[in-house]
Amino acid sequence: MQSLSDRVQIRGRSLWSRNAVKGTSLRGERLKRDGRKEWRQWNPRTSKLGAALLKATKPDFLPAPGSMCLYLGSGHGTTISHLHDHVCGTKNHLKGCVIAVDISSRCIRDLIRLCKTRPGIIPLLADCRSSEQIVPFVTKRVPWLFQDVSQSGQVEMFIDSCNQFLAPDGVGLLSLKSASERDTKGAFAHAEKRLLEAGFTLIEKIDLTGWEEQHVLFHVVF
Amino acid sequence: MESVYLNHVVHRLSNIPFRTDFEGEGAALIVKLVWDWRFARVYDENDHLVDECIWGGKQTPDTLADRLIQLMHGRMSVEARTLGDRFPDSESHPPTSIQSWPDLTSNQSDLLQEASLRVAERGVADAASNPDSRLEHLVQATEEMRNAHNTLESRIVEWAGLFLPSLDLDQQRSHIAPAFASSSNLKEAAVLLDVQSTEVEVGEKEWRGIQSVAKSTVNGATDIERMEDSVRELSNIHLPSLSLLLGPLLSAKLCTSAHGRARLARLPASTIQVIGAEKAFFMHIQQGTPPPKHGHIFQHSWISRSPKWARGSIARMLASKAAIAARVDHFGGEPWTSKQVSEVEKKVGEIRARKSRR
Repeated sequence: MQSLSDRVQIRGRSLWSRNAVKGTSLRGERLKRDGRKEWRQWNPRTSKLGAALLKATKPDFLPAPGSMCLYLGSGHGTTISHLHDHVCGTKNHLKGCVIAVDISSRCIRDLIRLCKTRPGIIPLLADCRSSEQIVPFVTKRVPWLFQDVSQSGQVEMFIDSCNQFLAPDGVGLLSLKSASERDTKGAFAHAEKRLLEAGFTLIEKIDLTGWEEQHVLFHVVF
Repeated sequence: MESVYLNHVVHRLSNIPFRTDFEGEGAALIVKLVWDWRFARVYDENDHLVDECIWGGKQTPDTLADRLIQLMHGRMSVEARTLGDRFPDSESHPPTSIQSWPDLTSNQSDLLQEASLRVAERGVADAASNPDSRLEHLVQATEEMRNAHNTLESRIVEWAGLFLPSLDLDQQRSHIAPAFASSSNLKEAAVLLDVQSTEVEVGEKEWRGIQSVAKSTVNGATDIERMEDSVRELSNIHLPSLSLLLGPLLSAKLCTSAHGRARLARLPASTIQVIGAEKAFFMHIQQGTPPPKHGHIFQHSWISRSPKWARGSIARMLASKAAIAARVDHFGGEPWTSKQVSEVEKKVGEIRARKSRR
């Protein structure tokens, strides 16, 4: 067993987060009791962050509990719920905050339901490409930024958002789907070049093959 | 919304904000105007606070939600405007550019959490008023119902043919389902269709099965008609010019295939020409097969009723006119009248005449 934090653990080959809402499983994940704690399995097939934590050589890129996180491209909230387990905890006693941005009203609808039981999540129906829609909600630079938007121009969007929102020494994570780019084969090399040009320090390039095909997660420090 | 602001100018380091030792005249002081939903502030070039204006209105989740929506649309808050008037030379900067920008207090973050939930709820509710998504559901539902109807219809025709060998399945096709739906047994249906029945005994339960398929076929036809009426109605409102040119059903189909009116209005005419023929189009790009001449637009009688050798040219011309019509609809132009449409029709006639001479 390897503890990534108080609230996230790797046991064998599976990843678990400490369930902030006891007794509820969001998408039928396995729940495991451990004394007074309850652990919820974090499925790497439905969460790129989860897959990256399992595949990284140094999985130390989770945000500090109680910090403010910006998550661009939140989808239906599977990863968000685990991130909430880690950053906010039950009834947000850690005083964390996860700002979940997505452009689709269908996804935000699910997030609204999610944040009713999990205070600390801020659902935000906005286009990640226009920072002015996000600025009113992010008044301080955040120490942790994750982007998973799967559309063409992901790298430039990531660089722009980091310049605008990521604090110095903050952790930036870019989940890059090569199939979303015009140049499918050269997408990863191009992204790496652009990130280094933009002044990021590349910590690790995590290949998610096995859990998520044609995906690489870039772990950078601003 | 009333706002209370500090009338006095805050001098943190009094010698910095109002320096008088500038070289040359007119060298303006660089002042930054920064605001979020709580307050607006003016900073000098060294990020020292110069002036501040605080939101003093009633702070409830609803008022804050209103405020956040304003800010999301890129508008300034009332306080920011007040300070902007006071410092006309100031430049706007986002709060993230100031290191010392105050953190949210615990009360404030609770309020923000509550308000952002309302903002998101309103955003989701607004999605229902988007005619594009409503049209998409209507068009797709009609399509699915039509598919289901066609499957059931061919099923009942084949089924009827099994029991009534002398039935002409081509000539009497449209009468079969209504006859089966309105009869209480096979003999009755045979009489209605004016043919000989087989000697085979059809059990009560089996007959009920046949009849329910026949009934859904008959009902399906009227349901589809009703759906198409509502597509026509919405399409005529949402895409008036395009509907006049191409007919409301085809317009609605083009609009959904293009993922909304906004995108349709931005597509080049050459793309509109081949929307709906994606398979042939990408075969052309990847394998070099002949390019498609028309996609959904083929359904228009000016193309489908034209001789084969004129269709490509007519499709090209009609698609460019459709692109203009879609732009007129989207960007609020004056809707087309039958005058413009008859001009297009004249051109169609010209193309037909020109092509036939060769």
